[in-house]
Parts: sequence; C-alpha cells; structure tokens
Amino acid sequence: MSCDQIKRPTSRREFLQQAGCGFGAVALAALTQEPLLGAANALNPVAAKIPNHKPRAKNVIFLFMEGGPSHLDTFDYKPLLNTLAGQRLPASFKPPLTAMGEANSPLLECKREWKQRGQSGLWVSDWFENVALHADDLTVIRSCASSGINHAGGVCSMNTGSVFGGRPSLGAWVSYGLGTENENLPGFVVIKDSEGTVVNGVRNWGTGFMPAVYQGVEFNPEGVPIKYLDNPKGVSVERQRDKLDLLSALNRQYGETRADNTELDARIRGYELAYRMQSEAPQAVDLSRETEATRKLYGMDREETAVFGRNCLLARRLVENGVRFVQLYSGAGSKWDSHKGIEKAHSKLCRSVDQPIAGLLSDLKSRGMLEDTLVIWGGEFGRTPMSEAGDGRDHNPTGFTMWMAGGGLQGGRAIGATDELGLYAVEDRLHVHDLHATILHLLGVDHTKLIYSNKGRPERIDQNEGHAFLKI
Amino acid sequence: MKKTPLLFALCLASSPLAAEEEAQRAASIFFEKEVRPILANRCYECHGEKKQKGGLRVDALGYLKTGGDTGPALVPGEPEQSPLIEAIRYQKEDFQMPPKQKLPDAEVAVLEKWVKLGAPWPVQAHETAVVTEGGFTEEQRKFWCFQPLANPALPPLTGGWAHNGIDRFIAQKHAELGLTPAPEADTREFARRATMDLHGLPPSREQLETLERDRSPARYERFIDSLLASPHYGERWAQHWLDLARYAESDGYNADEFRPAAWPYRDWVIKSLNEDKPYDQFVREQLAGDEIAPEKPEVLVATGYLRNPVYEWNQADVRGQWDLILTDITDTTGELFLGLSFGCARCHNHKFDPILQKDYFRLRAFFAPIQWRDDLTLGTPEQQAATAKQKSEWEAATVNVRAAMDELVSPILKGRVNTALKRFNDELQTMVRKEPGEREPMERQLVNLCERQLRRARKQLDPLKSLKTDEAKGKYASLVEELKKFDALKPAALMEAFVATDVGPVAPPTTFKTRKGETEVAPGFLTLLEPGEPEIPSVGGSTGRRTALANWITRPDNQLATRVIVNRVWQFHFGRGLVASTSDFGKLGEKPSHPELLDWLARRFVSEGWSLKKLHKEIMLSATYGQTARREPSPSALQADPSNRFLWRFNPRRLDAEQVRDAMLVASGELNLKEGGAPEDANGTRRSIYTIKKRNNQNEILRSLDAPSGFASTAERQSTTTPTQALLLLNGEWPLTRARKLSGKVRSIEEAWEAALGRPPSERERETADAFLAKRLGVSDRRIPVVAASGDVPGLFRENTEHERLLDQTGVWEGDEFTVEAVVSLDSVDSGAAVRTVASRWSGGKDSLEAYGWSLGVTGEKSRFKPRNLIVQLVGEDENANTGYEVVASNLRVELGHRVHVAATVSCAEHTVTFFLQDLDQPGTSVQKVVVPHVIRAKLGFGASSVVVGGLNKRSPAHQWDGQIEALRIAAGGLSDAELNGDAGKWAAGLIQWKAGQGPGLFWAWSGDGKMTETADAYRQALNDLCQVLLNSNEFLYLH
Repeated sequence: MSCDQIKRPTSRREFLQQAGCGFGAVALAALTQEPLLGAANALNPVAAKIPNHKPRAKNVIFLFMEGGPSHLDTFDYKPLLNTLAGQRLPASFKPPLTAMGEANSPLLECKREWKQRGQSGLWVSDWFENVALHADDLTVIRSCASSGINHAGGVCSMNTGSVFGGRPSLGAWVSYGLGTENENLPGFVVIKDSEGTVVNGVRNWGTGFMPAVYQGVEFNPEGVPIKYLDNPKGVSVERQRDKLDLLSALNRQYGETRADNTELDARIRGYELAYRMQSEAPQAVDLSRETEATRKLYGMDREETAVFGRNCLLARRLVENGVRFVQLYSGAGSKWDSHKGIEKAHSKLCRSVDQPIAGLLSDLKSRGMLEDTLVIWGGEFGRTPMSEAGDGRDHNPTGFTMWMAGGGLQGGRAIGATDELGLYAVEDRLHVHDLHATILHLLGVDHTKLIYSNKGRPERIDQNEGHAFLKI
Repeated sequence: MKKTPLLFALCLASSPLAAEEEAQRAASIFFEKEVRPILANRCYECHGEKKQKGGLRVDALGYLKTGGDTGPALVPGEPEQSPLIEAIRYQKEDFQMPPKQKLPDAEVAVLEKWVKLGAPWPVQAHETAVVTEGGFTEEQRKFWCFQPLANPALPPLTGGWAHNGIDRFIAQKHAELGLTPAPEADTREFARRATMDLHGLPPSREQLETLERDRSPARYERFIDSLLASPHYGERWAQHWLDLARYAESDGYNADEFRPAAWPYRDWVIKSLNEDKPYDQFVREQLAGDEIAPEKPEVLVATGYLRNPVYEWNQADVRGQWDLILTDITDTTGELFLGLSFGCARCHNHKFDPILQKDYFRLRAFFAPIQWRDDLTLGTPEQQAATAKQKSEWEAATVNVRAAMDELVSPILKGRVNTALKRFNDELQTMVRKEPGEREPMERQLVNLCERQLRRARKQLDPLKSLKTDEAKGKYASLVEELKKFDALKPAALMEAFVATDVGPVAPPTTFKTRKGETEVAPGFLTLLEPGEPEIPSVGGSTGRRTALANWITRPDNQLATRVIVNRVWQFHFGRGLVASTSDFGKLGEKPSHPELLDWLARRFVSEGWSLKKLHKEIMLSATYGQTARREPSPSALQADPSNRFLWRFNPRRLDAEQVRDAMLVASGELNLKEGGAPEDANGTRRSIYTIKKRNNQNEILRSLDAPSGFASTAERQSTTTPTQALLLLNGEWPLTRARKLSGKVRSIEEAWEAALGRPPSERERETADAFLAKRLGVSDRRIPVVAASGDVPGLFRENTEHERLLDQTGVWEGDEFTVEAVVSLDSVDSGAAVRTVASRWSGGKDSLEAYGWSLGVTGEKSRFKPRNLIVQLVGEDENANTGYEVVASNLRVELGHRVHVAATVSCAEHTVTFFLQDLDQPGTSVQKVVVPHVIRAKLGFGASSVVVGGLNKRSPAHQWDGQIEALRIAAGGLSDAELNGDAGKWAAGLIQWKAGQGPGLFWAWSGDGKMTETADAYRQALNDLCQVLLNSNEFLYLH
C-alpha cells in the first residue's frame, strides 16, 4: 500500500461501505479537499468515527498548568535535593541548557512535606492534599520530556508535538481521528482561567495544516460561552430566525441548478448548526442546575478555588454533553512560571487547583464517568533542581511529571523516573511524542495509523518519532 | 493533497476498476502468503537490508530488477530470462542459490509462477525500496518528474471547440475518456471568474457593461489584457506567492514580535508581478538579490524571502535556533521551487523519492553562509551616502552631548548587557567576547543572533527610570532636551532593509550526521540529476552559492522548476494543478493528468521569456478555461471522471479569505484601493493583501475562511465550513458593519442585489425578499420597557428608567491623552464582576478595532480587583501593534452612597493612568492619588463608540451606573491638581462637558431618545438584514 493510508471514497455509497468495514477512523482524511463534484464531502467530516482498537477512554479532560509546574515540589519526591541544597549540581550531571542559564546556580531545597498516599503509597507533597486522596486513581508519569526550553516552544510542543507552529494540536488530532458525538457543540473545547493569553495564543488549539473543522473552540467561562454566539445587539431570536430562513431560501434556490455541488449544501447546514449551537451551548454551560453540594465539591464556594472549580465543573458538563476533548488552562499567560519566589507563587496556584481537580475526580467517579474519561494533568515542562534568583526554579524540559487518571487506567502507579535530583528523565523516558502516542492509544487509536496527508507528506502527530507506552 | 489509492482496497468498490482491483488483490495475497516468506526465509540473510552479497538485494522489486554486480536478477514475466530463477534451479554449477542447499521443488515452483505472473509486488509503505547511496533504482530514475521536458507535438485539431494548443491536449483526453466539454460560460460568469481570478475582486458594473457591449471576437482578449494591465493583478497573485513563501509580518513565537520592515518584500512581489518580471529573474532575485545587485534596493529587498522563517528573539539556544532557521529555508525552497518534499530527507534518505540525506544537506549548504542583516537600509548608493554624510554631521555636532549621556548610562547598560549575555551558554559567551576579526563564519552568524538579544537589552533600558539618583535623572533629562535641539540636523531615516546577505566570502561548514558519523558536504544539486559538485565562484564579498543555486533552478531545461511554476499557475486558475500535489511531484504526490500538456506549457513558458502574464493569457483564452461551471455531471462523466480531473467543465470554487473580505468591502462601497506601504489592521477597509499578517494573531475573518497563518509554505488553501465561521459571519461586528454600510447605500431590493451580487434579482428572488420585508414590517419592534423616571432628581442614572445613559452628540474626540473628571455618587455595585460605568467610549468588546476605547468605572462584587475599585479599562494598540485590553485598577475604593470627586488622567505616551479620588461627604479627608502603569500605546477611541455617560455604548444593565452623576467633563491632556475640583462650578472648559442641572441640551441625548447606533426604523432594520443575508449567501461566496 502507499504511505498514504487514506483510500478516498469516490461516492457516498463507497464511503459508507468503507466505514462499515471498520475503516472509519481515518477514512475521511482528505474529504474536505476533494473537488466539489461527486465527493462525499457533504457528509459531516466530524461525525463520530470508529477507533482502531477497543478504547479505554472516550473523552479527555486535559488540565494544563501553563508556565511549568514544579514536579520536584509536587509529585516527584527527591530527598537528595535537600541533602545537597545550596551546592552546585554534582559534576556527574551533564550540564543542562536552560532558558535563563541557571546551570551553575546552587540547588534549591524543596520545602514541602511529603507523604505516601492511599493503598498504593504514591508520594504526593502537601501542595496537593486533596488530589492525594485520589492517589490510588493516579498514574503518575515521572519521566516526561519535551523539546521546548522556552514557553513558546514548550507549550507549542505539548499541544502539537513541535516547538514550531503550524501543526495540529492533540485535540485536533483526536477530533480528526474520532470525530464528535455531539452535533450541536464543538468536539474540542478550551477554557482558560483568566483573560491572560496562553503562550502563542489561539494556535495552541488550532489545526495547523488540517481543515479548521477540527479546531478547538474557546469557551468563555461566564456569560456567552462562544464568541459571536449571541445574536447581535438588538436582534431578537425571531429576527435571527427570519434572517436564517431567508438565507436558506435563497441558498436553496441557488442550489437547485447546482445540485452536484455538495459544499453548497454543507454551508446551508453549517448555518443551521450554528443556530442550534446558539441555543445548545448556553445550556451546556449553565451551572444553575448544579446542586450546592456539587459546587462545593469543586471548591466553588471559596474565592481561591472558585474560578478553576467552575471550569472543572464546566468540563464535566461538556463531556456529559458529548464534547470529546476539553482542555482547561490554569495560570493562562505562564503564571505557573516561577523563576523566583516559587514558594509563594506555587502555593497560591496549587491551592487554586487542588480542590477543584480533586472534586472533578470525585464527581466523575461518582457519576460513573471516570471510566470513560481520561484526565491529564501537567504543564509544558517541569522545573530545575537548581535555583534561580535565590528562591525560584528555571524551566526543565528534560525531566518532569504529568499524571493521568480515569480512562480505564489502573491507578496508584508511578511510571518512569528522573535521576536523583529530578533533572533528567532516566527510566522509561516519555517524550511528548510518546505521551501523545500513549494518549491516542488510550483512546483506541493507533497513532501510527492516524495519518493526515499534507503536501505529499504523510503526517502523524508524533512526526514519526513517538511510541505509545503500552505498559500504561 | 490528492492521492491515488494503490492496493488498499478493503472493500469492494463500485467502480469499473473493481475487476482490476480484485485481480491485484489476488496477486497481492499470493505474494504475501507464498512468495514473500520464501524470499524472507531463504534470501534476505545475504541479500537484504543489512548485507547485499554480490551487490544484490531482493527485498524490493526495484532491487531485483536493477540487480547486482552482474546485472538484473529478474525480468518480470520472463522466468527463463531471470537469473534468479536460473540460480534457484541449480542449473549451473557456479551459479546456485541458496548456496548451501537447493530449495524444495514446491518453493521453486512458486517463484517461477510469481515471475511468470509479472512479479507482482504490492508496494507497502514501510518497505518501499530504500535508496542506497548513489544507487537509485531504475524505477526511480525513470520517475516522471525527473525526465527532461518532452517536446510533444500538438494533438490533431478535431471539431471546432479548441481555441488554442491547450484545448487540443484537453480535447484529446476528452476523446479518450468519452467526455465532452461543457458549453461556454456566459459573459457574466466569465467576467466574474476572470476578475476574481486576476484581481481577487468582483467585476465593477463598468467592467461588465464594457464587456457586454463589446461584440468583437477579440472581446475576451481585450478584457483579459485590461485585467492584466491593472495593478490589482499583482495584488491578487502576490497573495498566492506570499502563501507559498510563508510570508508574515511577525516572528511567530510567543512574543510574535511585529516585523515593521517586512512589507517592502510584499510590495516587491506585487510590483514584480505587475511588471511581468520574467520568472527566472523573479526567482534569482529572491534567492540571491544581494549577490546580483547589492546596490539596488529594489533587488536587494527580494532577499526578504530569506527572512520569512519564524524567529524567537529571546531563545537562549542560539545554535539550535539557527539550525531551525536553515532547516526552514531549505525545506521551503525544496518545495516551493522544485516541488519536492526535501524535508523528508533531513534525517534519512527519502523513503519514496530519490533524495539522499546528503542531497538535503547539499541543498542546505547553499544557504549555510547567510546572515540576517539588521544594519542595512533600502536606499540607492546616493541616498545612502547623503544620509551617511548628514549623520556624521549630526554626530559631530552632538559628540559632547552624547558622550555625557553615555557616561551616565554606560555603567547601568553594562550590567544589563552582562545579565543578558549570561543567559547564553559558555560557548556562546566566549564567541561574543571574541574580537570580531577572530570569529569563524559560523561564530559570526551565531554572534549576530546573540547581538540581536543584547541590542534589545540595551534598547529596553529607560535611563529616566533606571538612573539611581534624581540628580542623574535630571541631568539626563536635560541632555535629552539638549540633544533634541540638533534634530533638524538629523537625516530622515531610510527604510530599514529586512534582507539577508552572506556572512562573508567563506562559508561555514555544512555537516550532517549519519550512522557512520558526521560528514561534511559541499553545496550541490540532486545527486540523481547532477551527481557532481558545482564550481561556485565567489561574488564580491559573498560566496556566490545562492547565485549558483538560483542559476541552476532557473536553467531553461530544469525539468522540475519549470514544470512546478507552470503547474502552480494552472492550479490557481483552475483550482487544481495538472499535477494536483503542486508542492510534491514525488512518488507520494499525484501524477500529472495531462503530462504532455504540462511539458508543452513549460517549454512554451520558457521560450516566451518566462512571462507569467503570457501564460495567464494563454490559459484564460483557452476554451477549457471558458467552459461553464454550471453543468451537472452526466452519468458517463461521473463514471469516467467524477472529480473533473480532465476538465469537462470548470471547477466550482468557494472564494478564498481575501476574496471574501475584499468583496464585502466592494459591496459596502468601502474598499480602500490605496496601493502598497505599511500594513494596516484588517478591521479597517484596505485590501486584504495590505492588512497586518501576524502569525499568532490573525484577523478572525481571514483565519476563519482558511487564510494560512504563515508558519509553513502553503500550496493549496483549505475551504472549510464550520459553525463558528457561520457565527462570525452572522453575528460578528465586522461583517455586520459591512451589511449596514451596504444597506445604507441602497434604497431597494434591486439595488441591494446589484451591489452584493452584481445582478438584478430574479422574479422569484424578488418575491422571497418582498415576503421577508413584509413579514418583518408586520412585526412590531420589541422595545426596552421604560418605566417612569424615579422622582425628579437631576443626574440620576438608573436601569429601566428614561435616564439610563447619556450619549454624546458632538463627535468631539479626546485622543490618547486626556482626563475624565466627575462628581458622582454610587448606590450599588454589580453583584457579579461587571463594572458600573461613570463614562466611556467603549462597546465592551476587547479584540477588534471597532472595540477600541476606554471606560472609567467602579468594580462589582465578584471582581478580581475586589469590589468598589475605581478602575479604567483600555482597549487599544500595545507596543507590539497587537490589540491589547487592560484593566488599570487604582485600588482606591468608592464608598457607596457618598458624593465623591473622581478623576483619571489617561496617557498613552507615558503609559500611565493617574487616578484621583476624594470623598466629599467626609470633609477633611485628603485627595487620594495614584499612578498606575499600563501597556496600551495608541489608538484609544479608534473604535466605533461615542462618549457615553453612565454606561457603555451599548445597553448593558450590568455596566449601568446606579446613582447620581452630577457633572462630568473630559479635558485634553493631564490636569494639574489645582485644575481638578470637587466643585464642578469651578471647572474650566473641557472638550466635553455635562452638568446635571442643565439637561441634555443639544450636545447630549438620552439613550432612550432613539438616537442609538442600531436604527429603530423597522424598514431600515429589515433592509440591513437582507443585505447581511446576501453577503452570507452561497452565490456571494462561490464561483459556481
């Protein structure tokens, strides 16, 4: 077979036959680029598709701690760090290339209290007391690695696999590979915790070289969830409906003599979908139907946890409503970036997310949704054992921690390890490419088969470099 | 990209090819089940990937056919002539395979049968023959795109359809496939297609009428000549080239720094196209303009091509970044000019095409010596000399002043630079500290990038803030004043040149890693075509490498480059290239639908002097181009060519992003046709090609309609339909404003149709539109319920009363430096996070030009700035020319129910807001005053709002003032403490003023008075909606 795995159906019938043969996962790849005639592109390119193998998870909630949370002070316990605190990195370590050039600064002690948690005895620091209660549900990956030493490269890499812009994000790959199960909401939704701009802006949830149908849609946590969802000022629902009816009537007249152009029809449906979204989306994010107890579970009753708690609750509601991939940003605008004063900065941020995340895990579990939903926690990189500016830590993309929960994972496990100071991943190192491959694996997609052909190049999410960590 | 499915038919297809596919599948099963296991078990050990005894591999058909040291090992279909069969039969004593033991007879029989069947070998992705160094397979050598340009004879003329040579090739295929061409498009269809195609704009009424009046046979020729002669031609086709060259006006990483000097390259592309600069020269100037004519700014500027990669100004890994930049230039050049996916060969020999890893680095070596220059200007030698002379005069006159300034600043500066330097690793620091003369070429390149960062550290220093003592600051400030006195002597700055040159006459080495270690390579072309190393004479102070590359690419007999450009032009005209994968002519790309036509066009293009305009004309005057798109496919066409590869009609297409945006501006009568110059915000009315292209911050309309972001070369636009796109077009401010403007200039349904679609409505459309208007006019407006004003307290602003908000009617504009002052009392704050607004010039939006503005107000219960905080909100341009929104919080609290005197001086020049707050109910309390910095630099109030007292420019109960506003004024610039006064009676005149006791008067209107932005006229409203619908209609958005 050719490198291009996509057999392009030439008719609707053929497409359906193929889809019926279990071909669905990637079959629709190039449809939107098909010339207008006769192609199957009137079919919804984001319709739900069939995974390659039996998935463990159907949905993803990705909790992105933007700026780089310290693994050394949260989930990767390194007693040696405090023994050697104040000294320089031992000569046995390869000098790392760091963003701010802190390779020679003294090691910074970790001020946290560490405990083994749950039945499994996972180490979690006191910055995550509440998440720690779910230790037996967590799969902590202590050997993550990325290629980006700066925020721009790091965030881009964690989202798209490349430090360069121009590639599709993980959520876009998932939408492309699996489609969405909801007709009235986007398949990929992003919510930030503030008005801060995530590094590199909207392209973090963009589609790069793929069609825009797979892109993430940013939801505002309050008020109107999607930009331009509301009718323009002064335009009533009836007036909007009248407009759309007129548009539809004119478009149908135009289409009568152009019946073979399926794109024209898709456009009519696009506007109808937009109209339905106008009524559906606000309901999906309407928290007024949640009980006081639920709100409390997410920490919405306390100021410091209210914002992220609300976003976590929104994430659950969106997943319930069939959104495939939800990404929540904490600290939008690199707020986890603690080059100095990490104690104060991280304390505040950890407090703001700990209860909400724990609440999310409890809530998903009690509703039986955790089995199907993969919750991922992490940032674009971790932080160095070396200090910066006396009481901060520099970026560390060479070894850091992420954790996953739900999605059929066993939990209570740690995977991989960094060296004794937490600088380099040394055991079962999982590069971002491997992480992406693994996440797709959990969703039932073989990442080597999820191919999008771009300018003759068969593109994969991992740029042909990743391996799914099957032991997960 | 379009692909032909090979043997990957999982399901029975219902096409006539099914039988053939079935046979192929059977062959493939036979091979996989019977043949491959024998080869793998018996032969691979000595003739596989690791070992190739006798130079032979048998793990791919290509190897078998090419053979080893003694020639081909296999002739498909001919077992008797295939040495492979001879060897396994053990016929000759000295030629027996496998050497140790003869194969079982059954296995011999299988292989015999296999060869006899023609040796079917399904090509699978992971085992396509891997290229061995210098030893390309025959199949690869014979691959179509590497063959020299053929010189095909014109197919015979049959029938009367053909206009020119192009049509003869097309007609030949039609005949072969039993297709017939579509009828000719009518004048209107043709005119709209041709004008959209060459200008990216709909035809004007005059253009249409001229064409319709012209009855001569040459009317289309005259029409196309006139289109090609217009400057709009270059503006349209430059967009295609800029997509391919991944042009953008920002760096692309987090800071996404604006590139203010990038646009002259864009203008150069436009101008070159308009002048019909021969394509070979067009290519040569972009690759090597600095070597060709360094003294000519109009040529040098073309090397902006080499500046298009993304760049991160604060990347500490300078070496890694430089590597990425060269990689980017190499990949793009391979795709853009040669149509090959060179990028695939960076880490290994190309898996499918005969591109060696070495070839990748041979190509890269041409670019290895480049240097991004920040020290050049775009001026003629005379201009440069004059500027230099004047600059030296200014320098001589100011030498003492500047020395005195340096003396003050240099100690701080040194520290700053040193800190910046320390971010680099030791290796780079050492390079930077070297004497310039001692640096190797590569070191000069890396230091150049380091220096850019250090320069920035210097530039960011503001001595007036950083000097330690007030005395030093004062001294410095007076020196600044002193220096200003010589400004008249200063030369006018020449445009900065955003270009590249070589670092010097000697190139840094180009090396690459293979399994064997690191190898150094010299510049060279594709080994397959040109195995040797070209002689490259240096040019002036430059290596001459890029000139050599450009000369090779533009050789008249370059079979890749010539086909690639001709094919691209065809693609942009027809929506699909003769080779559909226009940037990949390799094996994963598509084969040409009309190979002879492609070669014929390429030869003609070269012999006609590489003229793009002649090529356009030839294509557009063909009967092929003149076909209508409005032809439903016949059953036979659907069978033979469902995707219209063979052009039995014109391809329907959606307009691309720029065409849609520009067409909306044409319809609304607003399009600004100014040519060239610095880019402007896309929320304005310039043509799209002249709008700012920021990689991370694209204009939302253009982005939504699939304009590329400029990270990588884009050969073909997507054409997507998404609900968010529909929401934007339906509800977004920009498209709504266009619809409103359109409806403002039309008086009837007919006129609306003419303006939007360039034709009168049909009878049926008229009826549909009439019915719409009638229905709308029958429905009365839902107005805001108005309750009587509560009591008769002057200056009371309250929701749902007649006195909600007061709108300024004067249109006076306060600028970017102003003071708002008011005497107010507030009864409540918002229970959420909204801001009770004292005064504003703002709609509440945050990210479009129309939302630019400001507001002064008091925060609500759940604000992240805590309740009752006196704040200013600003939306304007930040230092990066991005749209910025910022809340500037004073942290001064307003007591509810108290009369307070508030003021805020907003300064964009100082980047500060100075707040004043005095509680008038507590006599004796002092005035609180704070200065808060912000990032907005300009354009406050560029938006669509007017000044409003007591709320925003649109109705928003949450932002409604709740309490009294006794008096308010807006004054230019800052006011001294003495000028501010809690007693409004003592105010001096301001730009805008209002006092409660005086009523609205002529200059103000209450929001309920019907003088609102959205018209209350029901007919006007309905017409607005109708116009909006037309601008969203498929007919508006499609060429079909």
